[in-house]
Amino acid sequence: MREVPLNPRPALSQGLNSARVNVASIRQLTVRYGSFTALSDFTVDIPVGCVGLLGPNGAGKTTLIKALLGLVDPASGSGEVLGADIRREGRTVRQRVGLMPEQDCHLPGMTAVGFVAYAGELAGMPAAQALRRAHEVLEYCQLGEARYRNVETFSTGMKQKIKLAQALVHGPRLLLLDEPTNGLDPHGREEMLELVRDVSHGKDVSVLVSSHILPDIERTCDQVIVVTQGRLVAQGMIKDLKRLEGQPVDIELKDPNGAFLNALLTAGVTLLGEIPLGYRVQAPGRPEETAALAFAAARSTGAQIRRFHVATRSLEEAFLEVIR
Amino acid sequence: MSEPNLTEPSPPDTGPVTGPIADLSYRTYDGPLSPPRARWWAIARAASRQTFAKRGFWILTVLGAWYYLVMIVIVFFVEQVLSASPQPTNRAMDFFTRIVWKDQFLHGLSFAQLIFMIVTLMAGAGAIANDNRANALLVYLSKPCTKGDYIIGKWIGVFMPVFVAMALPTFVFYLYGAMTFQSYGFLTADPWMGPKLLALLPLMAAFQTSLILGFSSCFNQGRLAGFAYAGLYMLTNLFTQLMVGVFMNYVSRDNTAIDQVPATVKTFFYASIDGLNIGLTKAILGTHGSPYFGIPSRIPSMRAPELLPVLALIIALSVGATVLAWRRVRAVEVVG
Repeated sequence: MREVPLNPRPALSQGLNSARVNVASIRQLTVRYGSFTALSDFTVDIPVGCVGLLGPNGAGKTTLIKALLGLVDPASGSGEVLGADIRREGRTVRQRVGLMPEQDCHLPGMTAVGFVAYAGELAGMPAAQALRRAHEVLEYCQLGEARYRNVETFSTGMKQKIKLAQALVHGPRLLLLDEPTNGLDPHGREEMLELVRDVSHGKDVSVLVSSHILPDIERTCDQVIVVTQGRLVAQGMIKDLKRLEGQPVDIELKDPNGAFLNALLTAGVTLLGEIPLGYRVQAPGRPEETAALAFAAARSTGAQIRRFHVATRSLEEAFLEVIR
Repeated sequence: MSEPNLTEPSPPDTGPVTGPIADLSYRTYDGPLSPPRARWWAIARAASRQTFAKRGFWILTVLGAWYYLVMIVIVFFVEQVLSASPQPTNRAMDFFTRIVWKDQFLHGLSFAQLIFMIVTLMAGAGAIANDNRANALLVYLSKPCTKGDYIIGKWIGVFMPVFVAMALPTFVFYLYGAMTFQSYGFLTADPWMGPKLLALLPLMAAFQTSLILGFSSCFNQGRLAGFAYAGLYMLTNLFTQLMVGVFMNYVSRDNTAIDQVPATVKTFFYASIDGLNIGLTKAILGTHGSPYFGIPSRIPSMRAPELLPVLALIIALSVGATVLAWRRVRAVEVVG
């Protein structure tokens, strides 16, 4: 039985059974600041789930986030976020979306629980509900012990967490996180990434994470959007983006064996390079066919294959190639 | 029924429970959300709540009533003298004939100007300045709020405490007077006094609110904004005190010499923040003023200014300060 949401806001779960559900769609959006074009004829669909937003400085990530929040006036194009038009229904968009900004920001003179409850009231929650929910999200963000402390006395890590709490308090269906691990020590970063991963998986909340730290994106997101010079240059699953062209494979042996390599080359396999205890090779056809050739060569030469996997590149390598 | 297995080992002791009792996992919020408009009210409520929560605000509000309290005590004692005497003394009767009730409001508000200034600083100096320092606008604009909501909310959030500090003592005295001093012409001397006060007090509070918000928007620290506002207040006040000195120099020797006071002195007599407020009070209540506490004095008061020029100046300054705040609050850079 499918759950029916208590409030009339569009629930993502309503469409999860369909092949692909988008939380936001931008169509041919152009945003200009004077003579500078920040986004040019930009079209993108942001799917449900945790999506990373990548791009070099000045690529247009910030403008895209502003556009998604309905805070910029586009020169042309259109867009929808959770069913609301970004050009005409900016307030509605911001009620359905939570933003965790990159910069340090809080409301002076307030305790943590007062701040988060106030953020909920600003989003339209009744005061009593906002207070109850503030306690709940502060506990979730691991700030339960510090809820009655003035926010101005918080450490950097706590300030990052309270920014997440104020973004979550009104139960947004889409979270926009701008550099969520900015300024955090390794332990704080670990906690923040765990929170982001937790909230974006199985909680009916989609997350768009803008970050320069590619391992963070890789750790939390399933998909990425790569932007450069105001244009979309790549979009898809991270594992697809990391896949190398021609699907080369890495074969690791117990002992590197020249006869094995010769047998492979004779079978029409191309050597792309050596890896520790093995070779990176490529053959026409699918990786399964390469595997069959490798096992045949091993059988004929007495080599012992310890590991066989499709070779991938790091997200950083993939990113650099895409934006080149 | 099977026999209990006495040899079955008991479950291993897992030790004390270390995890939280409550469910701390994330839950979606499916409760009500009001339509995303008119968020200024939430901002105004939060801003005024912060001031109302300060004990100092209420102490200052009570201190602002000092003239009225002294007046009540004096009237009480004079009444006691009247009632104790079989034949009312002439001096006591003279006291009541000298009392101009609307002037008591003029004096009450004039003497409390400094207190109103402190209340204004308390409520408004940090209203925008502290938000500038803490980057709070990011929080506001990422919610369904606009710059308009923010400015209006802050304005009303400062206005409410300033208005309460001005209005509470004034209307308490008005109600007390209406109940106690009726026989001395409190209500009949000026039947429009109530409506006039209702018009005057919001104007004074709005003027102070607009000015402090203009100052607050120019700084990143409430303290600095407060110093700047207090500095302007004191400097302009010093200037008007100089004018008072010149005026007194003319009229103290000859109380009919008020017409000989130079026009410049008359013009600049009210050229300060509290001067404008006092001028507005005189103009709206329709009085030039009379001796304090009904104590006879031969020194005349400075005449009330014309209502329209004072009102126009106050509105122009208020609008100017609000426009300054509007321009200084930058709503563009929401994300890095």
